[in-house]
Amino acid sequence: MLRSLPRALRIPSGAKRAATAIGASFVATALLILIAGKNPIAAFSAMFYGAFGSMDRIAFACNKSTPYILCGTGIALCFRARIINIGGEGQIALGGLGAAWVAFVWPQHSAFMAVGTALLAGMAAGALWSGLAAAIHLWRNVHEVLATLLLNFIALLLVGEALHGALGEPGAGFPQSSMLDNAYWLPVLATGSQLHLGIVIAVVVAVAAHIYLWNTTGGFALRVLGASRSAAIYAGFSVSALTMKLMLVAGAMAGLAGAVEVLGVHYRLIEGFSQGFGFNAVVVALLGALNPLSVIPAGLFFGFLEAGALAMQRQVGVPSSLVSVIQGLTMLFVLAALASTAQRKAA
Amino acid sequence: MDALALDLLVASMRIASPLFFVALGGILSERAGVFAVGLEGMMLAGAWGATIGTFLTGMPLVGIVASIVGGALVASAVALVAVRFGAEQMVTGLAVNILTLGITSFLLRMAVGGGRAPVIQVPLLPVWPVPYLSELPWVGPMLFTQQLLTYAALLATVPAMLLLFRTQMGLTLRAAGENPTAVFATGSNPMRVRMLAVIASGAVAGLGGAVLCLQQVGTFTDGMTAGRGYLALAAIIVGRWMPVGALVACLLFGAAEAVQLRAQALALPVSSYTIQMLPYLIALIVLAALGRSARLPAAIGVAYEAPKRPSA
Repeated sequence: MLRSLPRALRIPSGAKRAATAIGASFVATALLILIAGKNPIAAFSAMFYGAFGSMDRIAFACNKSTPYILCGTGIALCFRARIINIGGEGQIALGGLGAAWVAFVWPQHSAFMAVGTALLAGMAAGALWSGLAAAIHLWRNVHEVLATLLLNFIALLLVGEALHGALGEPGAGFPQSSMLDNAYWLPVLATGSQLHLGIVIAVVVAVAAHIYLWNTTGGFALRVLGASRSAAIYAGFSVSALTMKLMLVAGAMAGLAGAVEVLGVHYRLIEGFSQGFGFNAVVVALLGALNPLSVIPAGLFFGFLEAGALAMQRQVGVPSSLVSVIQGLTMLFVLAALASTAQRKAA
Repeated sequence: MDALALDLLVASMRIASPLFFVALGGILSERAGVFAVGLEGMMLAGAWGATIGTFLTGMPLVGIVASIVGGALVASAVALVAVRFGAEQMVTGLAVNILTLGITSFLLRMAVGGGRAPVIQVPLLPVWPVPYLSELPWVGPMLFTQQLLTYAALLATVPAMLLLFRTQMGLTLRAAGENPTAVFATGSNPMRVRMLAVIASGAVAGLGGAVLCLQQVGTFTDGMTAGRGYLALAAIIVGRWMPVGALVACLLFGAAEAVQLRAQALALPVSSYTIQMLPYLIALIVLAALGRSARLPAAIGVAYEAPKRPSA
């Protein structure tokens, strides 16, 4: 019956999987809320109104989604080529550091130059870090997951180091830089709103990644590498060059996410500003079935979820840490579903 | 200067002690062929169990048992998704870490806090100086004037070594990490071996959480393990998947943190952040230096699938 539907109307299996995983984790979370003696319907509706209740809240949620979409897109490209890059956490942190650093050492006065140099510096810093991981992986045959994971912690500490040294705001009780000059602030999309340019950048990046993946030779090589390493070698693609290129691209996207967060939300570098972003972006990439276009709704889902949870905690007294439960469960369900489909295909 | 050095040694030991169990647990999992990224979550669940168990019953023993159960529960999720279903092990580990962070924080507020973060205190385990031995110079204060679980962790290395390298069970476990098909050929089920090893690793790592709670912090706070699980992962690498090696690596990392905490008093030329980077840097350097010869279990990270019956 379903098979007779025209192709365009068929729901892709990735979307079904994502919907099932999200549904299952919401059911599990509802049970948790019930056990805790609260009303799950009240909690979820508070969450919904918290996320969509007003233009301001929607803007807030979109801003929260931006780093997830940016970093998730890069991770999706890597994972699709079977390069397990979990270094987003560190690459985002360094992206923020790069943006703030260039703003202080090479101040620009026109807004165009200021934002442009800072975003580029963020991308370069992120790419430097992922490139380092790729180099260690390729030259010394270190598992890329271990290399990216260990570099995360070093990057976070580097940000701390910078904030306690040259970049730190003198006299501030908290490890943060001074406020950036006005020229560096990302423009808002509508006056009076807090929605900044970041979401547009994120969508453009995701669309570009989609075109790259499906309509270019590079994207083809990436897909071949993901499907079969030996086929990629046989086809004459250089696996190490591809790996390095993809890691650099993913790092640049993560770095851009960090730069956007600094220029669009905080207007300064703050220690721990990127806590959890990189790991959550892995969930977003998987939820988006490693498809750059689908990473957009997956990232938006996360952003709205987090924005809504804060309102839920205020109004119903259900702790917002429930978000991590939903995120973790969703990720486990998607992983389990992906793996069991792969097993069935192999059988 | 002697007093300072002694103080450093004692502090290194104290800081390293929660890591010992976590690293031991991680070795069980990685030797069986499953990356132990979930250690952070297992340890956190252990700390939660230890705090709540001790708080509710007033008995630290109940807390310790609860920490074992908590760690094993988190590990069961890894065993199911990463081993049974064969999902990417590292990413599964990340997922359970996120999940545990949320669930411990949520349950803490709902179970005892009535919706808010509760203020609970549990008494710390007493220091028990070993008679005679604790009076020895240097090693006395460092090794023999400790809290009970620290002794347990140090002693646990011996049965861990014996289990891994001197028993049939240990051989099967290591074989599951090196060549699961060989395990299958001997009539055992590599998937079962791996699942059991992962759950056991969670139980042991959970004890590490108990050490953190019952010997040092005395309460539970959100995400209180603060990356110690990942640090233990680095210790396993530096210790090259050997219990004693990992123990020494933990001690080394403990020393780095002890020095960092005293950075100002010692008037060191480097910042505390640089010193905190050392464990991860050392782990990376060890991995990079060993390169191909790093003795990672050969089949680590590779999902095992049972061979198909030939169709009739």
